[in-house]
Amino acid sequence: MLRYIAQRLAQAAVIVAIVATITFALIHLAPGDPFSAVMDNPNVSETVRQTLRAQYGLDRPLPEQFVRYVSLLAHGELGWSFSHERPVREVLGSALPNTLVLMGVALVGSFVFGILIALFQVSRRGSVTDHVLSGLSLFFFSMPDFWLATLALLTFAYWLPIFPVGGAVDPVMHEYWGLGGRIVDRLYHLALPALTLMLLASAVVARYQRAALLDVLPADYIRTARLKGLTEPEILRRHALRNALLPIITLVGLSFPALLTGAFFVEKIFAWPGMGYAVVLAIGTRDYPLVVGGVIIGSIMVTLGSLLSDVLYALADPRLRSR
Amino acid sequence: MPWQTQDFAAASGPTPQRESPLALSVRNILRKPSSRVALFVLGVIVLVGLLAPLIAPYNPAAQPDIVGLKDLPPSLAHPFGTDPYSRDVLSRVIYGARLSLMIGILATIVSLTLGVAYGAIAGYAGGILDAVMMRVLDAFLSIPRLLLLIGVLVAWPKLSIGALVVFLGLTGWFGLSRIVRGQVLALKHAEFVTAAQALGASRRRILWRHLLPNIVSPIVVAATLGVAHVIVLEAGLSYLGIGVPKPLASWGNIIQDGSDQFPTMWWMSLFPGLFMVLTVMTLNILAESLSDAYERRR
Amino acid sequence: MTAPLLSIRNLRTWFYTEAGVARAVDGVSFDIGAGETLGLVGESGSGKSVTALSILRLIQPPGRIESGSVIEFEGKDIVTLGDDEIRDIRGNRISMIFQEPMSALNPVFTVGDQVAEVARVHGGMSRRDAWDRAVEMLALTGIPDADSRAKQYPHQLSGGMRQRVLIAMALMMKPALVIADEPTTALDVTIQAQILDLLVDLQKKIGTSILMITHDLGVIAETASRVIVMYAGEVVEQAEVDELFAKPQHPYTEGLMHSMPHIGHDQERLNVIPGTVPAPTEWPAGCRFRDRCPYSWDRCASEHPPLYQIGTGHVSRCHLAVEPERRNHPHPPVVVEAGVAAA
Repeated sequence: MLRYIAQRLAQAAVIVAIVATITFALIHLAPGDPFSAVMDNPNVSETVRQTLRAQYGLDRPLPEQFVRYVSLLAHGELGWSFSHERPVREVLGSALPNTLVLMGVALVGSFVFGILIALFQVSRRGSVTDHVLSGLSLFFFSMPDFWLATLALLTFAYWLPIFPVGGAVDPVMHEYWGLGGRIVDRLYHLALPALTLMLLASAVVARYQRAALLDVLPADYIRTARLKGLTEPEILRRHALRNALLPIITLVGLSFPALLTGAFFVEKIFAWPGMGYAVVLAIGTRDYPLVVGGVIIGSIMVTLGSLLSDVLYALADPRLRSR
Repeated sequence: MPWQTQDFAAASGPTPQRESPLALSVRNILRKPSSRVALFVLGVIVLVGLLAPLIAPYNPAAQPDIVGLKDLPPSLAHPFGTDPYSRDVLSRVIYGARLSLMIGILATIVSLTLGVAYGAIAGYAGGILDAVMMRVLDAFLSIPRLLLLIGVLVAWPKLSIGALVVFLGLTGWFGLSRIVRGQVLALKHAEFVTAAQALGASRRRILWRHLLPNIVSPIVVAATLGVAHVIVLEAGLSYLGIGVPKPLASWGNIIQDGSDQFPTMWWMSLFPGLFMVLTVMTLNILAESLSDAYERRR
Repeated sequence: MTAPLLSIRNLRTWFYTEAGVARAVDGVSFDIGAGETLGLVGESGSGKSVTALSILRLIQPPGRIESGSVIEFEGKDIVTLGDDEIRDIRGNRISMIFQEPMSALNPVFTVGDQVAEVARVHGGMSRRDAWDRAVEMLALTGIPDADSRAKQYPHQLSGGMRQRVLIAMALMMKPALVIADEPTTALDVTIQAQILDLLVDLQKKIGTSILMITHDLGVIAETASRVIVMYAGEVVEQAEVDELFAKPQHPYTEGLMHSMPHIGHDQERLNVIPGTVPAPTEWPAGCRFRDRCPYSWDRCASEHPPLYQIGTGHVSRCHLAVEPERRNHPHPPVVVEAGVAAA
């Protein structure tokens, strides 16, 4: 087991190294130089230019630049964001917790909700309810993230002003509340974006889990369970779900890219001050180091996500655990 | 498609593929009512896109009265309302269907070519080459496609549509090539391949004439899903302002045009979005029944 | 024979498939006495496993037990029982052992858990008690070191061990009837004999009846006292074991005997009977075996043979019972001309 984890960790490291190479190639294949916009910008101070030149060694030969780039990355240095006039590491570092909260709530919520929906559907497989729910999950599955987020904001913040229109806290009152008030304020602002992202992810989970359950049901050990005299709900809950959860663990890893992408749009639309919001703003200001920093951090998150789900899978499946 | 292995038929015995996979797929799709409806709806949308110049009530780029006719809510004259430049949203949605579908299909063709080639080579070569190619693929798969595209598109501002299509295609083949590689790997040692090898067929011939025809089904499924995915991605990028160059009408662009004032100009988000969901949904339904048919056959 | 434990009358289990109605079990009747071991023999496709699943009402759609069928067990008709009542019987009064012990066990639970579950469902036992009882039962089936084996997962046990686990599971509640569906087919030859001995041994201790389903007459000879031979969804012959081996009446039974491998020998099926069981969607009119039969004549095509009484407790579904002279003129079976290589 430990050997397997070590192996997977080494694999993840290789992947991150390749990702770094890809981003380096991106930067250098671009027409001109993505920093030219910075270099020619009169608003960028001389010190910033100096820092950038020094950091990236822009006048050095390419291999040297690459080595420099990789060693900077290895030290957690992602470059200088000129729109924030701060290191990219700091900008993304302060935004990351918000993204993690949003993604975490949506991830947990969507798996719980999606699995429940799937169980409900399979217990009534072939019925009208099952078909309607399948149709609904396909509908949400097919929905572009930004469109659902726009509609959610429009409906529940403008037409029915239940939720705030955006941000992580109340811009004025937050400072004046006590601890309890602040927590409520945060949750109140988190609710709609998290629900939106959760709904999008639940559709995927429900579809996947329903298929996984239906895959398991014809198995011989399900027949054995029937033979023991268990009721259908007991069989579903105990025997089928337990086995059908294994592929779902893989889905945790697989869903990371989609979840992250979803978080980008949801953050933009709800002005949720996370990584996605920062990167989307950086697109507008052509703050290239910040964009590339976002790409790298996002890729690392995805890699870690799939690493995590592989390890969880190995732990959950007794056939692998004993290796 | 049947008798792809004709030249070696005597040696390889019954071919594993008795009926053309495409014919089989079409028949299987038409059996389910939900996919019949999906096929019909998709057909209508494609037709709308093809016949855009004939159907659209207005010129999608015309700005008849930038002051008097702008920001109008839906009415009989403008069923989907007008945008901040006084353009007719219905006409733009119709032309958007044309552009979004075209980008989706073209980009998927690029992905298919790359994915099949890469996967087939890796699967057929095996060994170290395969291992290296798969690690590189893992890395590409670890970069969320949207983020990768943002990285590219911000570096190359003001891209033409053609370049956008190429980039969408370049970032869309990773998953497919893994499927192809797995299939090739599984079929590599099938009897009919061994038979062909025994008869002295070249590697290239075995790959193209014996292996690929047998993995058409998963490729068709992946392509259908691929088109849906590209449509959503293109819309997302356009929404972020780095996709289809304005003032061209794509579904994402229309939503972007109204995004600053979306609480008041809801029609600019709702209608193009609905068309997009409808298209993506029908493609997903079709892909699902295709893959069901394929699973059943195995 | 005293009042039977299980009494099946005119059991018909049909499957409504796209290819038509498959009459997998088509009018089967037989009894099992208390403490008796009844052998049920036939090729795959003869309907023997469907008969077994019907007894437990485990037939899944598109399959259905047709009305008019009667499965009387301990005074109740299983066909018409409510869902709760039939669940009360499953694993408790009637249990079953399958051919593939690996796939019949859930890979994500320990074997002890899976055996204990039966007692938790039916005995209303606490987790602790059920576990102890499971370990006891596993030890009884000859699993060494049952205490620690119970904590292992199916993939950690050998094939023979897994079958012992299934047997423990089946006998947990001391059921009145155990259905063993090809319990040794998937096992190594040396293990097969051990498992059969174990079953016979445990049957004596617990006093349960066994319905032994197999395609292997050798297994029947080892275990059963009475035999039913099934072909194409019907009972074609029924007799005491000794009687059947000494005086087989139905040509199909004869064929089975010729193809019988001896225990300890190569287990591969000797295909002495030419041809295969016809498709259950289109049983031929008349005798269903006639195309493969070396004695068949025109009567076999026109008249569906009834079960002729041969002797005490011995019946055969073959017109030879009334026209025994036909046995003197064997001919190559029809199917041989249809392309099956003459061996």
